[in-house]
Formats: sequence, C-alpha cells, structure tokens
Amino acid sequence: MDSTLKKAGMNKSFGKSLLYTLPMLLITFMFISGGKPDFSDLSSTLAMLITFFGVNILYFLMHYTGKTDKFRAILFIVFALSLSFTLISNMMEMRNSMSFSQADILECKIPFCHLVIPMMILPAAFTKSIIFPGSIIGGFANIASMVVLWLVATLVLGRGFCSWGCFYGGWDDGFSRFRKKKVIKRISESWRWMPFAVLFMVSITAALALVPTYCDWICPFKAVTEFEQVTNVESATKAGVFLSLFGGLVIVLPILTRRRTQCSFLCPLGAINSVSNTITPFTIKIDKTNCSECMKCVEVCPLFALTSEDIKNGKVSTFCSKCGKCVDACSKHAIHFGIKGVPSGTMKNFSRNLFLFVSFLFIAVFSSGTIINSLQSLFKLIF
Amino acid sequence: MAESFILGLSSGSACLVTCGMVMFPYLMAGSAGVKKIVSDVGVFLLTRLLVYFAIATLIWYFGQKFLSSQVIRTWVSGILYIVFAVMLIWYSLRRNQSKECPAGILASVENARIIPVVLGVVNSLGLCPALLIMLTKSSTEDTLVKSWLAFLSFFAGSSLWFFPLPLAGRIRKKEIIRTVGILATGLAGIIFIIKGLTILIGGIING
Repeated sequence: MDSTLKKAGMNKSFGKSLLYTLPMLLITFMFISGGKPDFSDLSSTLAMLITFFGVNILYFLMHYTGKTDKFRAILFIVFALSLSFTLISNMMEMRNSMSFSQADILECKIPFCHLVIPMMILPAAFTKSIIFPGSIIGGFANIASMVVLWLVATLVLGRGFCSWGCFYGGWDDGFSRFRKKKVIKRISESWRWMPFAVLFMVSITAALALVPTYCDWICPFKAVTEFEQVTNVESATKAGVFLSLFGGLVIVLPILTRRRTQCSFLCPLGAINSVSNTITPFTIKIDKTNCSECMKCVEVCPLFALTSEDIKNGKVSTFCSKCGKCVDACSKHAIHFGIKGVPSGTMKNFSRNLFLFVSFLFIAVFSSGTIINSLQSLFKLIF
Repeated sequence: MAESFILGLSSGSACLVTCGMVMFPYLMAGSAGVKKIVSDVGVFLLTRLLVYFAIATLIWYFGQKFLSSQVIRTWVSGILYIVFAVMLIWYSLRRNQSKECPAGILASVENARIIPVVLGVVNSLGLCPALLIMLTKSSTEDTLVKSWLAFLSFFAGSSLWFFPLPLAGRIRKKEIIRTVGILATGLAGIIFIIKGLTILIGGIING
C-alpha cells in the first residue's frame, strides 16, 4: 500500500493521518456536544459517541488509505437512511401517519427540503412570495436555514453538494452498489441533460401555478419521507408517480446500471449544482501525461460525468459531483482532486486534503444531528 | 391555460431548434436588416395566431356537436390524451434522429413576400402531437372563449421561442438547447399521459 500511496503523492503514516483528523475531531466534537457535553442520559450519550467516533474514523481512514469514495459513501448512505428514519418516526409520533393533510399545509407545517429551491426562484422574483407551506424561520427544517446551507454548499462544492451534502443521494448511491457487474451497460449521453429539462419544466409550472410542482407531482423521495393524504383520484395518482419513480430510478435502475440514475436523470437541483460547478474552486483534474486512456474512470463514474471524449480532452464535465470514485479507480493516479488555476498533476496531495476537509466537514456537521436522532429513536425501539 | 402554455413552451423549444434552422433562411431571404426580419417574424406569428383561433373555433364546435355526453367526453378525451401524449414522446425521440420539418415545402414557393404567411400556416397546421393534444383539450372546453384562451396560451408558450430567431446565428451550444428541448417535449408527453390516466380512472370510479 505504501508504494501505491507514494505514487499518488500521498506518503501517509498513522501519525500523519491522525494529525489531519485532529481538526475534524475538535470541530465535530463542538458541533455534536454543543460545547457542553451532557452524559446524563445513557441513550443520547451512546448515540453521540457512536456518531462522533464513526464520523471521525471514516475521515481518518480517508487519509490513511488514500481512498475517498468508499468512506464517503458509508456516511452518505447512513445520512440518507437516518433522515428518512427520523422523519418517518417523527411523523408517526406526531400524526400517526406518513401522509400530511390539507390542515398541515394551511398551517405551514411541512418540513422544507432543498429540492424545492429551483421552483422557488421565479415565483419569489416575480411575486415576492415563497411557494412552500413550511416555516420560514424556526421549527424543524425551516426554509431560511436550508436555503442558506444549500447556497453556501453549492458555492463552495458546486455539484459536490450532490455527493457530500444531499440527504437523498445516499439512497440511489446505496442501491447502485448492490451488484458487482452492470446489467445495462450503454446509456446515451443525451440523457445527462434530462435534469435541465426537468428544471425547465418544474420552474415554469411552479411559476405559473404558484405550487412546488416537483414536490407535488414528481419527487421520488416522497415515498420515503411524507406525501399528501390519498383522498381522491388525483392524490392517488400522485402517490403512484412517487412510488413508481422511487422504484424505477432509485432502486431498479441504480442496481442494473451501477449508476445514480435519479441524480443523473431527474433531480432539478442537480442541474443548478452543475451550473454552480463552473464557479466553485474545487474540481477533478486529469493529468494527461500519466493517463493511459484505459477508461476505467468513465466506467465507474456514477453520474455519467465522464465520457471518453472528456478523457481525450483532459477535462471532466460540469456534471461531476467530486465523489472520488474515479480517483480511487485510477491505477495510474492520473485523475485527482484539484483546485482551479493550479496545473493538473501538481499539488495533488494538498488539493485532496483541502477538498476533503471542506466537504467532509460539511457532511459531518450536516448529518451528525440526524444520525444521533435516528440512533436515539432506534435505541428507544430496541430497549 | 397554464397547461396549454406549458405544452406550447415545452414543444416550442424542440420545434424551434429542429424547425427553426429550416425556417430561418426563409425568413431571412431577401431581408434588408433587422427591421425586415422583425416584421417578417411578426407576420409569421400573427398568421399562426389567426390560424389557431380558427382551429379553436372549429374544434370547439365539433366537440359540442359530437362529444355532448359527459361519459363519452371523459372516455374520448382520456384515451386521446394518452394516445397523443405517447405520440408526443415518440415524436420527440424520433426527431432526435432525423431533422424533418414541414417548412421544407417552402422550397416550392416563389413569391418571397408571402413566405412568412405560408410559413405561419404550415407551422400551425403541422399535425404534431402537441397540436393534437390541444385539439383534444379545446374540444372538451365548456365555452368557445375557453377554447380560444387555451389556444392563445399555447400560442404564447410556443411563440416565446421564436423571438430570438433573428439572433439564431449567434446562439452557441445549439445542440444542448436542442437536446434539452427534445427531453422537455418528452416530459410534457408524460404529464399528459398522467392527465389522461387521471381522467380515465376518475371516469371509471365516478361511473
């Protein structure tokens, strides 16, 4: 392993990796404990400790092994599962059902999610109103905090948000790892533009109807969070759409293609993040001098962000979510984390460390509260 | 109205990028600057609007005459929505491979002055699935005014794409716009399949 790491420009030892992990340990401790650790309750103490050590062990292993994607995916998948578990258990406790009623809409009690953001822009610009029945400030998952979080993340990480911050991406990321071999191998590159078509349609429909149409009619993750109470043909059709899209794009296609098909072909926020990818400082670079054009990176890319054309041109596409799967797969270490303006093939180690610190800190802070909550709920269920 | 506008907007994007490049040389032929192009595009759009109003009136009349029963109206419109929406998806996928446009027949028109008018008629009468969906919608409207409004919204949505036509030569990344337009047309098809299914299921449940 040492020679592999040396080739990658990462001469890491246990001590060095621990040193890199120290700032993460301190910051996550502050966030998880809130500065005042309270060990009075056993289940919350246990949940906190498991989360704290789990998160930091993953970060340490990223440095120690030089691999990124495997450890990122663990936290990413756990985050997605925890969020759904916490949301569902909260709703079952509060409403005794996963569905919400018209009264919940009127009282603005619907938790906000970042996927609504693309639909809010046009109505907010033209009517100065927010077309989502949620709380603007205060309460669980309020609009202001989610918008600010997403805005910061997308400006810093670009589409990296889709692999390091989104609390839904872990679902199809997880299912895309179920099989070792792909059943469906060839998919036209044109489909990569589908999220832009979805973004176009939902932005226009939301602006015309002043309703978040994506959440109302399309979002596959309604199947694992909450959805409108089925009271008539229309709401039954909506539930059918949510379940079909979840089954098709989040479970079946990721298993058959080993790709994140929901993120690649549907998510409108992914389209916006692809645009912000052009201004973010972090990127994935291809070192043409070391590249043997084996196309292993193209093969493993979960978001169709790499094509053989991109490899020949020495530049990754704007669809890249910086998950690190291609970096881990490249035996020549020709593809690496980089910073814009820095020539490819140089400062590989520094760029990776800097990117990992920023992106991992985001997902660690963003996910730890949810993971702790779900662990506590789980302990309550078990004991 | 919103539905018709969206249908026009989504199908118009693909229509412009595949057909616009065929129509553009005709609209530009013999023109002396932007003023002439703008006036030609204006005539072209006005012709489309007039043809749409005529179609809306006719189809509404036929709808009132032949689809008077609510049961027939539900079944016919539900099935037609699904059939035409499937056609719209097929049409968008097929257009991805071939670049056919009815405006090609303009090669036989010799009088350059009437070209924008002929182009307007050809473009609005081209029986594309989006127009067939509009015909289904208009035929089941309660009043003639609603039928006109539906076509007016469809016209507004699709016409938005024709305004940048004089700048077509300067638009970069046409291939991406075309791809997104084609995919958006396919999505519009899916929306109308769901609408058709909702109408049919609602009809079955309510007898």
